[in-house]
Amino acid sequence: MDESAVAQTYRLTEDQGLLREAVRVLADERVAPRAAEIDRTAEFPEDLRQLLAAQDILALPFPEEYGGLGGDLLTVCLAVEQLSRACATTGLILAAHELGALPIVLAGNAEQRTRWIPRLASGEWLICFALTEAEAGSDVAAARTRAIRDGDAYRITGSKRFITHGSVADLVTVFAVTDPEAPRHRRLSCFVLEVPAPGFSVTRLEHKMGLRGSPTAELAFDDVRVPAANRIGEEGDGFGIAMRTFERSRPAIAAQAVGIAQGALEAATAYAANRRQFGQRIGDLQMVSAMLADMDAATESARQVLYKACAEIEAGSADAGRWSAMCKLVAGDAAMRVTTDAVQVLGGYGYIDDFPVERMMRDAKITQIYEGTQQIQRLVIARALLGKGS
Amino acid sequence: MGGLWVVAEPGPDHGLARISTEIATLARDLGARGEHEVVGIVVAAEPAEPAAELARYLPRVLAIQDPAADERAWAAVAAAHLAALAEGDSPDLVLTGAGPDGRDVAGALSALRGLGVLTNATSVAWDGDESGAGGPSVEMSVFGGKLLTSSGFTGGRGIVTVRPNVVTAAAAAAPGKVEQHASRATPLPAVRVVDRVSEAGAAAPIEEAKIIVAGGRGVGGPDGFDLVGALAQVLGGAVGATRAAVDSGWIPYSQQIGQTGKIVKPELYLALGISGAIQHKVGMQTAGTIVAVNRDADAPIAEFADLLVVGDLFEVGNALLEQLRSRSG
Amino acid sequence: MRIVVLVKPVPDPASAGERLGPDGRLDRAAAPAVVNGNDEYALEAALKLSAAAGDGSEVTLLSMAPASAPETLRKALAMGATRGVLVTDPALAGSDALSTSRVLAAALRTLEFDLVLAGVDTSDGVGGTVAAAVAAHLRLPYLSYAARIEPDEAAGTVRVRRISPTGYDLLEAPMPALISCTQALGEPRYPSLKGIMGARSKEIANRSLADLGLDPATVGGAVAATALRETRMPPPRAATEVVRGAPADGAARIAELLATRRLI
Repeated sequence: MDESAVAQTYRLTEDQGLLREAVRVLADERVAPRAAEIDRTAEFPEDLRQLLAAQDILALPFPEEYGGLGGDLLTVCLAVEQLSRACATTGLILAAHELGALPIVLAGNAEQRTRWIPRLASGEWLICFALTEAEAGSDVAAARTRAIRDGDAYRITGSKRFITHGSVADLVTVFAVTDPEAPRHRRLSCFVLEVPAPGFSVTRLEHKMGLRGSPTAELAFDDVRVPAANRIGEEGDGFGIAMRTFERSRPAIAAQAVGIAQGALEAATAYAANRRQFGQRIGDLQMVSAMLADMDAATESARQVLYKACAEIEAGSADAGRWSAMCKLVAGDAAMRVTTDAVQVLGGYGYIDDFPVERMMRDAKITQIYEGTQQIQRLVIARALLGKGS
Repeated sequence: MGGLWVVAEPGPDHGLARISTEIATLARDLGARGEHEVVGIVVAAEPAEPAAELARYLPRVLAIQDPAADERAWAAVAAAHLAALAEGDSPDLVLTGAGPDGRDVAGALSALRGLGVLTNATSVAWDGDESGAGGPSVEMSVFGGKLLTSSGFTGGRGIVTVRPNVVTAAAAAAPGKVEQHASRATPLPAVRVVDRVSEAGAAAPIEEAKIIVAGGRGVGGPDGFDLVGALAQVLGGAVGATRAAVDSGWIPYSQQIGQTGKIVKPELYLALGISGAIQHKVGMQTAGTIVAVNRDADAPIAEFADLLVVGDLFEVGNALLEQLRSRSG
Repeated sequence: MRIVVLVKPVPDPASAGERLGPDGRLDRAAAPAVVNGNDEYALEAALKLSAAAGDGSEVTLLSMAPASAPETLRKALAMGATRGVLVTDPALAGSDALSTSRVLAAALRTLEFDLVLAGVDTSDGVGGTVAAAVAAHLRLPYLSYAARIEPDEAAGTVRVRRISPTGYDLLEAPMPALISCTQALGEPRYPSLKGIMGARSKEIANRSLADLGLDPATVGGAVAATALRETRMPPPRAATEVVRGAPADGAARIAELLATRRLI
């Protein structure tokens, strides 16, 4: 780590403050009442997706020149955090949409950006990020889905697993091997597929522990034709594009985790302030007070690391990878800890679905797994510390 | 013309609004203490009937006939006549109701004559001694019932709008006299009444009801309001609702109680399936007796109700209906 | 179509922080300020009418408020209002309804409009007389308690459904006119994020009493026609009695209470 580098600091602008407040109000009034039902029915909340689109929330991550709001990383994270406080599935709509679109925003050419971004920004189209495969999770470079050049197109064959929004997206950002003989990090290329398309199908939807309203799909590509004009960057750029994407998408997941933790903290605090046992409210019993305090500290710590990470990444810090990994590591663990403690504070009531904390605990777990497991994040940080490239 | 004026508001079928009988009673009592002149003023296309009714409560009633009072929005027509009357001798106190018509005429008259307005009075007395020299002392409940204030007019005279149910209407010992009054008022800009439409489900102004049975989100649907209506009927009261019930389309907005609906002060408020959130609370928390039925013992209404029955509102409600019917039956 | 909407910043009723200061005036620091709820319905109606009337239509906010008001008006601008006009002067603190109506009328005399929309009352004052007074000062047709507003620009008239105890009265008047608005007109929109960010560049013009040609000796707190004399807390309610158990028992307790209090 270069100690002489100027350290970035974040400062919420007036616009960011207003944006955060507006999303918070929307989350409280329109999203929160739907959260339990979304979890219970495991149905994708199309109504809330429309709401996010109508309120320009899905436009946040996109450049203004293409109809977006030009929100920086912190701005997008503020929105994801507020939505996730009420419903993690809904927060993920924005986060996953950003994730799928980042390759276009970061590495797409002018024609591609003009073709796709306006309708992504308006929310008319949803986009998903299809990298993970059954045999290539943490080991991204081991992907086997193949893209074979055929004239002015590619033919893609293979399958992807655990793809968020895979069944509801209109665009699929898919990574496939264009050169099996190339070094590991040059084997993949990145394509954007417009679906429906012949040969493309959703073969499976997972039944998950949490985030149950978010469709997680297995996608099959059976000789699917993609125009060469839909390839992002050059052949072999895929791995690099994915890594650059993660740098900016991991904070959004950290934001989701912070939001989940905050929601759980608020639910537990409200309960502890009202529930009476042994002649007093349980929040005043020291063991419960201590838990609440630790939950608050953990949530706030995660939030501050996240906001700071956003400032560093946005500034193009050489340490961006470390910050990205660190904020996701801290926030994911915080979310799991805070939601588990929240269930504990509510005791028996925490275990039943009359109260939201059991759902929040189930939702929190995935933040330690996707977008790079906590173990991967630790690798990234350790390598940065020890001065090696990844 | 000085004295205490009671502005009569139009009621159903070209009659007299109930609130005007209450305000007349209040004015008569006020006038009696300290011997002030009290006069009722009726502005209507056909003032004879409402004037005669008002004369049961007041010693003197001026009947001003103006066809415009029926053909046009009433308050502006009435305010113009009142302003002309006030030109000669400013009244010491003008009393109107605190409902839509009363507010409208109070506002217009306030501008035309430069009179201050005190609104939503829950009581009116004389400040200091009863000579009235100190002007009226008007009590109001503000901030949704959190605070009671007493206010007056810096110049000793003004307009007061009075809440329903503050006073029980009581006829005078002997009816008063009705005088026709030919008024030469400069009219305010005309607003034509094109049509008066009756809608199913509309009911008497809920602010006037002494008993209100109200349903909230817990009622679950328009059919659930049958129970609310049945209880209201057996108790001789009106049906009210929370914002949630109105927004869901189960009951018209005219029955909505709360911050963006009506403010009510009935003797009894029976709340079924109502959580008692602040937006609703400010509309009803000054009711004499508040009884709530709710499945949730921790609902906010538990903090300010007199009685909370924890249970299913349909089970409790139907049991109550049965018991009330067998009492009166 | 040019529409002016009267908006008043009030203490947020949801914050339960409304209270009077030691001088008997509303303590505006005690709770965050928001746009009066009923005014948002008026604004929403104005925005819909303006959109329907098409190009060249604008919605102007008009407020008599402390100098800190632009913060509060921002949300209204973010909802889609074109601009704001703020009449502010320390002398106006403590204004009563009559004075407020005079100031708003004076401000409206400097603006051009086809319609003025206002909420039926405010959550802090709940008086509901200011709109009628403003209309009378300006000799504008006054249509109140609107559940529906239908202007006919070609004919230069507007029709309003006024809520009545039996349903509604259908009123008609020439424009320009002043209309007080009820919740029945429809839910105010959430400001979109684009609206929020665009609000920054929208103008809020300040007007002083001098700009309006108003003599400070005739308006404001010092010349209020009404005065607060004293306050007291309402009598505390007795503690809530909570009854659980069989529905019939709960019902019996209710009936008993009603009988004891002679309500049945």
